[in-house]
Amino acid sequence: MRRRVTVLALVVVIGLPAVGTAAGGDGIEFFEKKIRPVLVEHCYKCHSAAAKKDRGGLALDTKAGVLKGGDTGPLLVPGKPADSLLLKAIHYTDPDLRMPPKGKLPASVIADLARWVAMGTPDPRTIAVARTKGQESWEAKKSWAFYPPRRHPVPAVKDAAWPRAPLDRFLLSKLEEKGLMAAPPADRRTLLRRANFDLLGLPPTPHEVDDFLGDTSPQAFAKVVDRLLASPHFGERWGRHWLDVARFAESSGGGRSLLFKDAWRYRDYVIRAFNNDRPYDVFIKEQIAGDLLPATTPEQRRELLIATAFLLLGPTNYERQDKPILEMDVIDEQLDTLGKAFLGMTIGCARCHDHKFDAIPTKDYYALAGILKSTKAMVHANVSRWMEQPLPMTAVQEQAVRQHDKVVAALKERIRLAKLADQKAGKEVGPVFAKGAVAASTLPGIVVDDTQAKRVGPWKASKFTGSYIGDGYLYDDRSVKGEKTLTFVPEFSKGGFYEVRLAYVAHVNRATNVPVRVFHADGEETVRVNQRQAPPIDGRFLSLGRYRFEPGSQWFVMLSTAGTNGHVVADAVQFLPDEARRAAVKPPAPPTPGAKGKRPAADWRALEAELKRLVASGPPRPMAMAVAEGEKVEDCHICVRGNYHNRGPKVPRGFLQALTPAGAPFTIPAHESGRRQLADWLASPDNPLTARVMVNRIWHHLFGAGLVRTVDNFGNTGEAPSHPELLDHLALRFVEQGWSVKKMIREIMLSRAYQLSSASPSPAAVVHKIDPENRLLSRMNRRRLDAESLRDAMLLVSGGLDRTAGGPTIRTGTTAERDYRFEDTRRSVYTPIFRNHLLELFEAFDFPDPNVCLGRRNVSTVSTQALFLMNSPFVMEQARRAAGSLLMVPKLDDVGRVELAYRRALGRLPGTRERTLALAFVGQAPGPRVATWGQLYQTLFACIDFRYVD
Amino acid sequence: MQPLDNVLISRRQALKSAACGFGYLALAGLANANNPLAPRRPHFTPRAKRVIFLFMQGGPSHVDSFDYKPRLERDDGRLMSFDDARTLARTRTVTTHRVMKSLWRFRQYGQTGRRVSDLFPHIGRHVDDLCLLRGMHTEGIAHGPATLFLHTGSINLVRPSVGSWVTYGLGSENHNLPGFVTICPSMGNGGPRNWSNAFLPAAYQGTAVGRAGIPATEARIRNLSNGSLSPAEQRRQLDLLQALNAEQIRRAPGDSELEAVIGSFELAHRMQMNAPRVLDLGGETRETLRLYGIGERATDNFGRQCLMARRLAEAGVRYIQVTYGDNTDNPAWDQHSNLPKHADHALAVDKPVAGLLADLKRRGLLEDTLVWWGGEFGRTPYAERNGTGRDHNPNGFTVWLAGGGVRPGISFGETDEFGHHAVRDKVHMHDLHATILHQLGMDHTRLTYRYAGRDFRLTDVHGHVVRELIA
Repeated sequence: MRRRVTVLALVVVIGLPAVGTAAGGDGIEFFEKKIRPVLVEHCYKCHSAAAKKDRGGLALDTKAGVLKGGDTGPLLVPGKPADSLLLKAIHYTDPDLRMPPKGKLPASVIADLARWVAMGTPDPRTIAVARTKGQESWEAKKSWAFYPPRRHPVPAVKDAAWPRAPLDRFLLSKLEEKGLMAAPPADRRTLLRRANFDLLGLPPTPHEVDDFLGDTSPQAFAKVVDRLLASPHFGERWGRHWLDVARFAESSGGGRSLLFKDAWRYRDYVIRAFNNDRPYDVFIKEQIAGDLLPATTPEQRRELLIATAFLLLGPTNYERQDKPILEMDVIDEQLDTLGKAFLGMTIGCARCHDHKFDAIPTKDYYALAGILKSTKAMVHANVSRWMEQPLPMTAVQEQAVRQHDKVVAALKERIRLAKLADQKAGKEVGPVFAKGAVAASTLPGIVVDDTQAKRVGPWKASKFTGSYIGDGYLYDDRSVKGEKTLTFVPEFSKGGFYEVRLAYVAHVNRATNVPVRVFHADGEETVRVNQRQAPPIDGRFLSLGRYRFEPGSQWFVMLSTAGTNGHVVADAVQFLPDEARRAAVKPPAPPTPGAKGKRPAADWRALEAELKRLVASGPPRPMAMAVAEGEKVEDCHICVRGNYHNRGPKVPRGFLQALTPAGAPFTIPAHESGRRQLADWLASPDNPLTARVMVNRIWHHLFGAGLVRTVDNFGNTGEAPSHPELLDHLALRFVEQGWSVKKMIREIMLSRAYQLSSASPSPAAVVHKIDPENRLLSRMNRRRLDAESLRDAMLLVSGGLDRTAGGPTIRTGTTAERDYRFEDTRRSVYTPIFRNHLLELFEAFDFPDPNVCLGRRNVSTVSTQALFLMNSPFVMEQARRAAGSLLMVPKLDDVGRVELAYRRALGRLPGTRERTLALAFVGQAPGPRVATWGQLYQTLFACIDFRYVD
Repeated sequence: MQPLDNVLISRRQALKSAACGFGYLALAGLANANNPLAPRRPHFTPRAKRVIFLFMQGGPSHVDSFDYKPRLERDDGRLMSFDDARTLARTRTVTTHRVMKSLWRFRQYGQTGRRVSDLFPHIGRHVDDLCLLRGMHTEGIAHGPATLFLHTGSINLVRPSVGSWVTYGLGSENHNLPGFVTICPSMGNGGPRNWSNAFLPAAYQGTAVGRAGIPATEARIRNLSNGSLSPAEQRRQLDLLQALNAEQIRRAPGDSELEAVIGSFELAHRMQMNAPRVLDLGGETRETLRLYGIGERATDNFGRQCLMARRLAEAGVRYIQVTYGDNTDNPAWDQHSNLPKHADHALAVDKPVAGLLADLKRRGLLEDTLVWWGGEFGRTPYAERNGTGRDHNPNGFTVWLAGGGVRPGISFGETDEFGHHAVRDKVHMHDLHATILHQLGMDHTRLTYRYAGRDFRLTDVHGHVVRELIA
């Protein structure tokens, strides 16, 4: 960068006509003639008081503005065009700063501007143009949620018999105040179905319904709640709620979507956390800074590492070429997600400008950004990758992996020796590998490793043979058609003759006719390489000939797959100068079998097959998506207008000022990223937002709407709480009860309010007038089954639900998401979530966009849902299965079957008219009975009562 | 509550349909104001009613097609310094590259005498109808980012697709079909995100007909037919469903959401009856089929897609995208190492596209149909790694528009003498989006949707309508 500026300066100085006088009368004339018209024509549209927006904070319509500069810094140094940003911008030399953006100015105009700066910017414009941009007041932008929850007295109510829990009093007092009647309690069937879906995402079985109806004790419902909370399906249901917020997915999304093969570990971690009722504050800390927290056992260490995947699960365009910008994009995504998830704040808005609505200045954004910039989240390459860490194993597991590695190594050695023996005997054995990896730096001459090669088309990396230069080798992916190339570009500092050697790993499946083109100083040469033959030099290299090269980078060696008859591989290209060739000692020949005592030459083909089996069956060394502290810990610059290449001042790492009371104990030591402190700050009982946001999420899932309905937005653009005192009450309770999610759920479900009927108690007109959206909760909200519950309920009713919990669920061997076939019948939480390829049912039924943190799902009614229920093979299959099992029940007539089908699908008996309609349908149907009853079941799956919870 | 695709019908009608059978439902009640796809008034008088976007996935080379550069012939083979976008982004340096001339001859066509290369002889004959935008530039150097940017106006963030914005703004002219249809879309480079409604209501999502890699003859809308039931059987089943629903809705009188659920089945059924007819090319004359190159090996597939697009346009679909591409990471036109391959792709699309233009014109549809042809970026004027292909070039490329109230027979904008950077009358992808919305009668700064606490636009805070293009 610096070097380029110097070159530019030189050009500018040389290109400048000599200027005799400095600013004077001539200068003003020059300004009026040559400069003002240019500014007016090309610049004022954006950079003046008259502009709709003053872009870049730069005003060119006043002398003061010109001298002050813009967000990027001073515009010019009078008298020194070479040092002036203005000249850089109009010369179009900096790709990030090209002005005017619509096109480069004519050379004569550029020369005039350079001359004007050299003259000392004579400028007669003295009248200041009034600019209006008031000082922001942060205090005024603090929403209600920035103030800590207060303890409110539990309100008095007229109907003292009604409330069961303190929270009921908060609700009832508002109802009484507005003169609204509360609905009667829901009938017991409805209540059980509601509780079942709310806690497990599954309907109760007919048996469970009977049990509950038969239990007349006053504790009957409390028993149900406790039973459901203790079910392992609870974590699958509530864990999924959190996965919505954590924008969980198993691929990176964006353009080139990469599979997150280990994301399932995070999913399982979340499910375990909810099943074990992990205190919510601990849950937060683990996800933000698990890698930095103390652990006493390998299991705990694993859990803590896995939790940090929260930071890495975002959608990322890993192929973005500008890596610093890619890093800022990832940080932005992390901040946006953690802001919404834990704080209900849209922090992301402050990336480019002070938050327009909330008390979040840009400075605070970059204070947080510094923490994440000091955290290692990815590893860069052409297509970069997220950070991974090996998971600690127990001593026993560790031992098993080591033992396995040893066995594999021994077997490989046996294969090599067996092949050498056969080769000596003159048999065709395919390649004999040289042993082990060799670092490129230890080889003489210039070595370009395959990792540095320019790839066209998909190439796959491998380390399978364990024998290569540098870091593995590449082979073409023959499943993808079309020509692919690999280009190795050396940097020569010295001209002369070099021997060019290609390193590759031979195998019988390789091509015998790989075209390798060498572009050298005297032209180009194509050499055909037979990659089935082991490379003759050291078992690694083949000489492509001796060529002349000159310094510079326009020479290269290019492998192509054009017209090849097998796999094409490449490991490295070595350019060996003449003197090195002469000096090179002949590398030691591979040891001959005789040297190590005589073992009878085994059949290497059998051994290779065994090796394959062994490798496939061995204990894997588990990896997790997990962050680490960055190699460099540093504060982040403000990126002016969000542009990384436009740097403002550095901001010390820290938190949101408006949420950090003065003197709070959250200081970040210079050598730490600050993630540990960030976690403590987020999970602090003194943080006014954290507990409120979480209890509101719980409320949302139990009532279908939060007290604050915009569950991810507690800022000024979000909605105000319907019951602010209740929200405070619950938030304080939550912290007092050790941030226990299960306790909070139980308390809410045992309230009067949760158990109300969804039917309106008052005449529709009254309700419509006073509380059309049921914000006062005079009744329960009727709720649509979400995508997962819809699918799981159909599977449960059909008998096809596979209740296996946990573990990886992407089919082995999957390399891309786009053709993935979803086949399993496990609970929906285990269905792989690919960002660019969702299960069709999810797509149709409002599964949340896994690209964003979303605590409240859309509820849409579209015809694609109807088409899915009418025609999808999945629904028809479940309906047929359900019918098959129905018809297996002995001693039932059609009336009995209709009743059982209703009990199984809807948890109730059919009404009189429903019974008549159903009987008429099955009675008149042509065709086989299973098909007819299947159609009835399919109709039940599609009907309103199946798709809604009352 | 979110806005709903509630093709509302009143309870009375629902009960009536339950009593009299599914087919008796009055259609009139469905086009009311609560229907998110009901036609809406634009901001001002539109010049176009619909858009057909012919997406050339992978990035066709402008200097080998519509942007003639004699300088490339003069300097062919010379090593010269270029600020290559990819190198710049990675290393922030400028390097030398070998200039590569076009492999195809350029000829002058039509009254306007503008040059088109031998890749597109058929389209060339329509050059007087085309408005060439030769000063295009965009964001994103790799396919994924640039493709998302082309479709949604954002590289990184999840935003609604152009087609979703258009149907959100204007609704649909046809109540039996979706308002936004994408024919054989690519599953790669963002896949469904490129026709996604993102945060807009689900009614505005694009409906895919087939996907890339599936022959046009087999391209269908998902779940549009039932594999095991005859239409009569299915009708019987639907009658039962609606009768049961009518029973169940009794408990919740006046619940518009539940009524919308019932309505969604009515619409689904009508789509099931109508859409296959619209997509069936069986009724077209042999002359028309020939016009699109249907029946010829090279052009049959894309010809069918283009003809489907015309039929959908006629049927009142607002936004129709046709994709020439595939599902790989280096799609169709992406000739990094083998530029001659461009000829195969050009052969496949040239005649069908020309046929579509001719057909629209003779039916009077071109007047109010805006046709947009182009890729996610162009290609470099120099050889990639000194080989025989060209790398991506987001800094200068050509797209063309036709019909829909844009000036025919003009070229707007210029790249430098090599065709590397747009230098005069530059049009950014945001500007193109703004202009397309303008032709449809919408002000891109006023077409907003409130989400997560703020108003969003297709063009974010950017974009200018390119007035010079408007007839």
